[in-house]
This record gives sequence, structure tokens and C-alpha cells, in this order.
Amino acid sequence: MNAPFPRRTLLAAGCGLPLLGCSARTPLPQNHFRLGVSGRPRSLDPRRATDALSSRLNRLLYEAPVDFNARFEPVPALMDWQQTAPLRWVFALRKSTRFHDGTPLTAEDVAATYASVLDPATASPHRGGLKHVQRVRALDGQRVQFDLTHVDALFPGRLTIGVLPRRLMKAGHDFNRQPLGSGPCRFVDANEQRTRLQRPDGALLEFIKVKDPLVQVLKLRKGELDWIQGGLSPELVRYCAARPELAVQWHRGTNFAYIGFNFRDSWLSQQPIREAIALGIDRAAIVQALFDNHARLAGALLPPEHWAGLKNWSGYPYDPGRARALLESAIGQGQRLSLSYKTSANPLRLRLAAIYQSMLREIGIDLTIQSYDWGTFYADIKAGRFQLYSLAWVGIKSPDIFQYVFHSQAVPPAGANRGHYANPEVDRLIEAALAAQMFAEQQRLYGQLQRVLAETVAQVPLWYEDQYAVLHRSVSGYTLAADGRYDGVLTMRRVQHG
Amino acid sequence: MKRWLWQQRIWIGLLLAWLALALAALGVGDTAYRVDLPHLLAGPDANSWLGYDQLGRPVWERLLLGAQTSLQVALAVVLFSAVLGTTIGLLAGYYGGWLDRVLTGVIDVFLAFPGLLLAIGLAAVLGPGVENVIIALVVVGWVSYARLARAQTLSLRSREHVLAARALGAGTPRILLRHVVPLLLAPLGVEATFGIAGAVISEAGLSFLGLGIQPPQDSWGSMIREGTRYLLVAPHLVIAPGLALMAVVLAANRLGDAWRDYLDIKTRSGP
Repeated sequence: MNAPFPRRTLLAAGCGLPLLGCSARTPLPQNHFRLGVSGRPRSLDPRRATDALSSRLNRLLYEAPVDFNARFEPVPALMDWQQTAPLRWVFALRKSTRFHDGTPLTAEDVAATYASVLDPATASPHRGGLKHVQRVRALDGQRVQFDLTHVDALFPGRLTIGVLPRRLMKAGHDFNRQPLGSGPCRFVDANEQRTRLQRPDGALLEFIKVKDPLVQVLKLRKGELDWIQGGLSPELVRYCAARPELAVQWHRGTNFAYIGFNFRDSWLSQQPIREAIALGIDRAAIVQALFDNHARLAGALLPPEHWAGLKNWSGYPYDPGRARALLESAIGQGQRLSLSYKTSANPLRLRLAAIYQSMLREIGIDLTIQSYDWGTFYADIKAGRFQLYSLAWVGIKSPDIFQYVFHSQAVPPAGANRGHYANPEVDRLIEAALAAQMFAEQQRLYGQLQRVLAETVAQVPLWYEDQYAVLHRSVSGYTLAADGRYDGVLTMRRVQHG
Repeated sequence: MKRWLWQQRIWIGLLLAWLALALAALGVGDTAYRVDLPHLLAGPDANSWLGYDQLGRPVWERLLLGAQTSLQVALAVVLFSAVLGTTIGLLAGYYGGWLDRVLTGVIDVFLAFPGLLLAIGLAAVLGPGVENVIIALVVVGWVSYARLARAQTLSLRSREHVLAARALGAGTPRILLRHVVPLLLAPLGVEATFGIAGAVISEAGLSFLGLGIQPPQDSWGSMIREGTRYLLVAPHLVIAPGLALMAVVLAANRLGDAWRDYLDIKTRSGP
């Protein structure tokens, strides 16, 4: 009697099956993209979102009245605007739009969203940006009127919060758990590990939390992820660029890295010491060695391409001889200065701290590095418990950031003047620029302001790190943006390789 | 004995190499700490045959400093643990009674708690640093010496030579030091050999977790921790300290095993 399967077939199957289990991943459907992110979004309610990931996902879920162009000028998105009086702005819907539940988006929804942000009960972190709004009301189904208490030429740029349906807000809907907007993507579901959105073409965008950069890269190589953006060490990006199954996209970035000072410190309140630190750090060498030249030296908080940015100034040059002379003029010949430097426990930030420590040692400054987990570090910075620290400003669009960061009245919690910088000239220029009506006048005043900040070494501008994304070869069509927004996932598509 | 030493030449050689590395670290200068931007994660060259780390520092010199740290910690932990544990075990075993019951209870409590977890907790409370690592590991490590010393003392205290010494009017310290402790040295030596391996791996573990040796001081554990972030691009950062750690722990454990077998008459004489 013949066996149903010959012995050799069984043997081959026995040997082959385990190998099949180790073969390449099962191909995903054409319309399913797995996107690696390092955490989960803190809030999918745009009124409360502050972290970069939440803001980027909320852009996909909700539409805001105003957006920004490449020069960081406010441009109409959902609405056009008109200043009808010095203290009055009227915004009008540009097109007929519907929320994802099918209900039409009206001016009532826009007014209700911004009224909700202004309501102290909402506890929105964006309320401060709208503090000059006295009243907001819908004039009709298409138009919303904002009455201000102060003249604010930058006002349109403040309306970048996504619009929510008034009906659901009144019903106390939890937008963080069940977001509902009118943006290009519809919310599907979310848990601790992933957030799933659906594109207008039905494609599924699955944002998967993978904390460790090394694991992100391994998953990308294996095909378990299609895309990651930012968060890798420069060497890992270089590694990805050399892999045939991966592709790296670069884009000039605008995130501003800097070293901040505590101006209440007896040493750091002295300008020669701050200048010595600025002159003692070889930023160009760091950018070349660590970032592979994928960063631009920064001279000011706003990048040069910003309409209010400072042109032709990229910060203090590396001059250790002059740095040492300045330091000795402040602390005495042959003396050394001991300072502490706080940073997060991020490996790249720690590496940079060790590099600054080494460079500043050469000019006579002994830097003690204090690294903490992000929560402790950020709490210390906000409370002013530091001598030196390093952070980055991410996604800055409006020049009113200067008021928030450098005005003497903007000490936390009122603003982000964490080092207690106080300069009457800077206060005057900030107030004059905010009150200026003419664009050219604003540009001139902001230019002057940034020059004063540079001359007084209000901070050490470091660089603007380039944005990058790493994609598996099986996807294409992604376009990177300077601010790192994820809008490019809307055009992502899967390609078949022979 | 000579034959036994010759049989263990590989393990003894590895431990001597560890000692040599630690001594060679005395000659390492500032270059081990100097950041060198052109050499970030660079491979081996004539100046550093193990390549460079993420700050351009030579891995070989950091390896030497790591050997020095691990040797310092291991010797200190074994010495203090052995002195403390043996003293407690001697007293418990020799006097017996309520003292023995109390000390045995304390030993049992320590044994019931996972050692490394206790060390992690202590290191977290005390804060990082070499001294605190040693304290944490001694707090965990004395127990095995105490248990061994107590068990041995219990059987030794009624031996004829001890009874004779007591009958001749010898005081307790003299009896313990002259007639009991010398007979404990061999088993305690075996325990110390295992203790060295345990201390080296525990120090590396604590440093790997960020609770041990802190920069700019070097430790094999912290080198491995830093290296894991660059595993794909610079595996030498993990391989070099990993192999060194493995070699020392393996050698110490194998030597301890061999010594224990040597002291065991039944094993030595064979069937």
C-alpha cells in the first residue's frame, strides 16, 4: 500500500516549514502603512495638544483656519481673513467643509472652538497665545469676528488650532479618546501601542510606538515598519542610508538648538563669560563630525528664511584664544571657572554635553554635566534651577516667540524667560514690534531686536538640525517638511519591486 | 598541587591578564577622556587597535580603565564581605544559642531577598559611584560567607583540638583565630573566588543600569550600555568590554569550581 505522502516529501516539508517561518514578512495590503513613532500622542484634542507628535497627528485629523507658508507667513487654510478695524478681525470660510460624521463645518464651530480655548475651564495651554482676544462670535454661517484688546499684527498666525464640532463640545465629547474633525484623515482607533487613522483614499495609517531607535531601524529593515522620522542618532541615519532596502530623505530643518544661561548667576550675568562660552564652542566642527553637515549653524531663534529672520549672521565664530582672554578678564589670570550644565538623558544630548565639556575645558571652564530624565530636567529648567542648559525650540512660526522668551515680564509661569534675562532695550523693541502695523516696520524691529540679543549673548545659538525620514523601499511618495509635519503620509504609496 | 595549577593555566592566565590590564591602566593618561571629533566611532588604527568610541576616545584605554575599576570593586567587595560575613558566621556558630538563632534569622532574611535586586535598590538609594557600589555589593555579599563560616564552625567547635585548647584555658578569640579560622580558609577561599566573579558581574550590571560607575570613570558595564546604542554601526564598543567581562567571570568561576573539586577528597581520589 502506498503512503499518501512519500517519506522524502514529508522530510522536505519538515525542513522547509521552519524556514518558511523565517522568510520575509507577509506583504501588507497596498493600502496599509506602518509608521514608527517613539511615543504615543499625549492628546488628540487640538485645544490641549502641545507635544510635537500630537500636533502633527492633529494636523491630519483637524483643519485649522490658518496655516504657514515656507517663509512662515500666515496663509489661509480653512478661512480667509480681513482686518476691519485696528482691534477687529473677520475670518470667513473659504469652502464648504464637513466633519467626519457628515455634519457641515460652520462659523459657529470655529467660534465655539476658540471660545472654548479661551475658557479657563478648558485649561488649554494655547490660551496664552490668544490672550488679547476680548470676544469671538459667529456673524453668520460663514464668518467669525474676533475683537481684541490690543493691536496685534500677528493675530492671523495665532489661529492654527484645529476646529471641533460645536455640538460635540457642548455635549462634553472626549476628543482625546475619539477625535472628530474635518481634516484629511479620519480617526479609526488608538491604544497604548498604536494610533490608526484612515486616509481619504481608504488607506490605513498605523502609527506604532517603538521607543528604542535601534529597534525602530531593525523593524524598518525587516519590513515591520515602512517609515520613521527623526529620533535616530546621526550614525544610525548614516547606517540606514547605506542599506539597499532603505532610503533616507533629508530636508533643511528649522528646529533651533541653543545653550541657555541663568542670568541670576553671578558669573553668567557677566557678558564676557557668556561671550567666552559662545566663542569656545566649535559648532562647525560638531556639525561636520556629528551631524555629517546635516545641520545649519544658527545665529538667531528664527531661521534666516523666516520673514522676520536675521540674515547674514550665523552666530559667534570659534575663537578659543579670544574666549580664554575674555574669561581671564572676568575671573583673573590663570584662574578656572566651574559651571554646571543640565541636559536630558537623551544619548545624543549627553554626547553633545561631553563635547562642550571638552571644548570649554580648553578655554578654562570646567563643566559639570548633570543629566536627568526629561521630566526632572524640564521641571528644573522651568523653575530656573540651572546655570547652563541646552534645549531646542521646535516648530516656531510666529516672531511673538521673542516676547515669550526674552521679555523681562515673561518669567515662568507667564512665559519662557527661564534664565531671567532682563534688558529694557529688548523689552522696548519687542513691544514696538508687536504694536507695529506695517510689515516692513515689523521686519526692521525684529531684525534690530535679534541683533541686540546676539550682541548681549542672550543665549548661544547652536544650529538648526535637518529633518530626515527613513523609508522602506516598498513605499514612496513621502515628502518631508521643514517643520517635520507628517502631511507627506497623505501621498505615501506602496511600490512593488520586481 | 603543581599539576593542578598546570591544569588551570588558562583560567589563571586570564585572571593574571585581568590584573595586568588593571595595572596597565595606571599608565593611561588624559587621552582616555579627550573628545576627538574626527574619530567618532572610528575603527581600529595604529593609535587605538580596538577603535574609538562615540566621543572619539580610544576603546583600548577605556578597557584598561574598566579593568582597573572592576578589579578594585571585586577586591574590595570580596575583602569586606568575607571579613564581615566570616565574623558573623564564626560568632553564630561558636556561641550558638540565642545569638545563633538571631543571626541565622538575619541571614535567612537576606537570602530570601534576590541579591541583585537588593543591590539595585541600595545603589538607587545611595546614589551612583564606586564607593556606593561597593557598599551595596557588600551588603548583599556577606551572607554567603556568614552561612559557610557558621556551618563550618558548628562542626569545628566540638573537634578535639578545639576542646583541648579550651581545656588548656585558651580564650575565645585565641581559639577562634588560632584553631578555627585556619580551617575555614580553604572553603572561604573557594567562596571568595565565586565572590570575585559575582562582584565583577554585579558591578557591570549596576553600571549598565546607570546605577554604578559614572562618567568620566570607566566601567565595562557602562561601556556596554553606551555601546548598545551603536550596536549596528560600531559593534566593537560592545564586543570588547563584553568579551573582557565574560573572560574574567568565566575564569573566576572555573577556577572556583576546580579549587572546590580539588579540596573535595572524594572527587580527587576518584572511584
